[in-house]
Amino acid sequence: MLDAIKVSKSTKSAAIALTVASALGFATLAAPAKAASPVTISVVLAAPPLPAPMLAEFTKATGITVKWTQLDWDSLQTKIAAAATANTFFADATDVDWSRVGQLGKLNWFLPMEKYVDTKALAADMPQLGSFSKNGHVVGIPYDASFMVTTVNKALFAKAGITKMPTTIDEYTADLKAVKAKGVVQYPLNIPFAAAEGLSTYWYETTGAFGGHILDANGKPLFTDPASAGYKAAAWMVNAVKTGLVPPGNINVADSQGQQTLMAKGKVASTFSDYSGNVGSLYEVPASSSVVGQVKYIPTPGLKGTAANLGNPDGIGIPAKAKNPEAAAKFISWFTDGKNMADFAGASGTARTWVGYFFPSRLSGIAILNKKGSIIGGDVLASMLKTSAAVFPQGAPAWYPEFSGAVYSNLHAAAAGTKTVDAAIKAIGAVATKLSSGK
Amino acid sequence: MKKRLDLLPYALISPLIIFIILLALTPAAFTTIAAFFRVQPLNPPTKFSGLENFRDILHNADVISSLGNTFLYIIIGVTLSTILGIFFAVVLQRRFTGRSILIAVLILPWALPGVVEGILWTGIWDGNTGVLNSVLKSLHLISHYQVFLGQNKILTILAIEIVQVWQITPLSTILILAVLQNIPDDLYEAAKIDGSDARKSFLHITMPLIRPGIAIAVVQAIIATLNIFDQPYILNGAASTANSLAMETYAVSFQNLNFGQGYALSLLITVFTLLVSVVVAKFIYKKVEY
Repeated sequence: MLDAIKVSKSTKSAAIALTVASALGFATLAAPAKAASPVTISVVLAAPPLPAPMLAEFTKATGITVKWTQLDWDSLQTKIAAAATANTFFADATDVDWSRVGQLGKLNWFLPMEKYVDTKALAADMPQLGSFSKNGHVVGIPYDASFMVTTVNKALFAKAGITKMPTTIDEYTADLKAVKAKGVVQYPLNIPFAAAEGLSTYWYETTGAFGGHILDANGKPLFTDPASAGYKAAAWMVNAVKTGLVPPGNINVADSQGQQTLMAKGKVASTFSDYSGNVGSLYEVPASSSVVGQVKYIPTPGLKGTAANLGNPDGIGIPAKAKNPEAAAKFISWFTDGKNMADFAGASGTARTWVGYFFPSRLSGIAILNKKGSIIGGDVLASMLKTSAAVFPQGAPAWYPEFSGAVYSNLHAAAAGTKTVDAAIKAIGAVATKLSSGK
Repeated sequence: MKKRLDLLPYALISPLIIFIILLALTPAAFTTIAAFFRVQPLNPPTKFSGLENFRDILHNADVISSLGNTFLYIIIGVTLSTILGIFFAVVLQRRFTGRSILIAVLILPWALPGVVEGILWTGIWDGNTGVLNSVLKSLHLISHYQVFLGQNKILTILAIEIVQVWQITPLSTILILAVLQNIPDDLYEAAKIDGSDARKSFLHITMPLIRPGIAIAVVQAIIATLNIFDQPYILNGAASTANSLAMETYAVSFQNLNFGQGYALSLLITVFTLLVSVVVAKFIYKKVEY
């Protein structure tokens, strides 16, 4: 019974002191921590940590210790937005996705990189740097030149008697139908129809292959006319499900899931919009693939010949509330160095290879890899990178995330059969029109 | 005689009070106030907007769709988790060999994060390579693989909610079991002497006396299902077939960067949770004395 408990004066004092200490503890937690010496920076990316020997080399050379945190991409975007809105520290260096450049640039959530790095000198060696600029400021530096490519399982195509790779959409579609008709695989094409970002990206690449763009310079939709590339691309993708070219279960398959469970297992014969680097990092890895030696990159088939590949690069920048922006900039310079990026991609052996890394964003990095012969399909990829185009030549609009949400939820609904292609396109167009008019 | 004020009880509970004020009441107060402001970082400035945020979100087709879906999640989730919670609690009421191991196994899904569960169950429900399809086909119950998620709204919500029920049932079980173990054995023995069989004892002794546990289990199930996010997000993406209110709050706030509407939606969810919890407590909860 509580009232029977005898408590000494000293115990009471201790309890009250503890309470005060707790309250002070909260105050300490709330106060910003001072930078330790030597400097430690917090790097948060949607990727596993860099190889330990390389991080150790960086620390030895600069005295800067890197505390690396990995988060999934969607959570990372949420945390960046939440921290920036709350005007508080989140990381010294973190992800700048190409699709968020417009938003981040408008909101000034990241420091202008040209203040810390000679971005003009970088431009010639980094073809995708332009996708990371907004209003004359460089928001982030691309560290991974991922771009969309078409992959084909040549062994499965060969079983259907196809040895000449398609160069147009019509040839590509006919080849897929032949693969299905000859019973090589039941569903030859992988399109990830889950309502997620990967579906939007797939549509952008397909729209590019049909010879068009998504938005004009003012952000108005260019895809609402049935004769437009975007409309045709959506119709082609949805028709592929209805005609049995795409597995019905793909209605809920996300991009990486489809690549891992279908393409890498030989259950489908092609992915029209795949990620550059997947051949080397997924399809050629025996532990995760049963199609080693079979999957190749082909120049993306277009309307009347091969089409440009759309860039999908990952970048890194310095949030406005970074505690150590100078140290973060040093890290970014080192991180995006051509030789280091070549090492991340496997130029100097497994100890320096960064798991999941696709492709250097610098041409000099690719040149090192090609010289060492350590990149699969390097020649094809290097030529594609040179001509890879931004999804939005005028830069991603600030309202891109909301637009993309409309794209993937409506295309998913069209594939699921709950909407027609026409209704889906009209709904996406209405969102783009509303957002671009600033309403 | 003047009574001295004893500070000790206040001192002991003050860390908790400070904790609640800082981490629960302050954000709640902030959300309540901010819900009446236009907060759009892409379209500044922030200004008072009265009920505009509430009006806009109630005219948002995605929010309305998610409201219907969330209602289904609540109905399915609360019903299943409560029935299963009572069943497992009754099974675990008596001591038997392996009971501790069974309790540990039962609690495991509760300890797993929703995201992990979503990924695990993707492998079960997957329409291309899922375990369920494989088993059904092996048993010749289906001729070709079925698509469980994304096409039929009711089936999709049911499949997703089963995953959440798997997660929240352990807590319901533990809550009901705690109350169940307080029921004196004398009551059952007396009933047996009076000719009551197991079914009658369950209906007339067990059920009435575990009502406090059921009430708490139902309230926690309502809170969990009303806030369902990870499972539909992982299993069905952002598709409108199964999007929830919590997912819409996320989309409005962090995708569209319309924080004012996000605050308003959060506030409505909180008020709804409180109201439903009070109603449930009023109708199900009953003070029990042995």
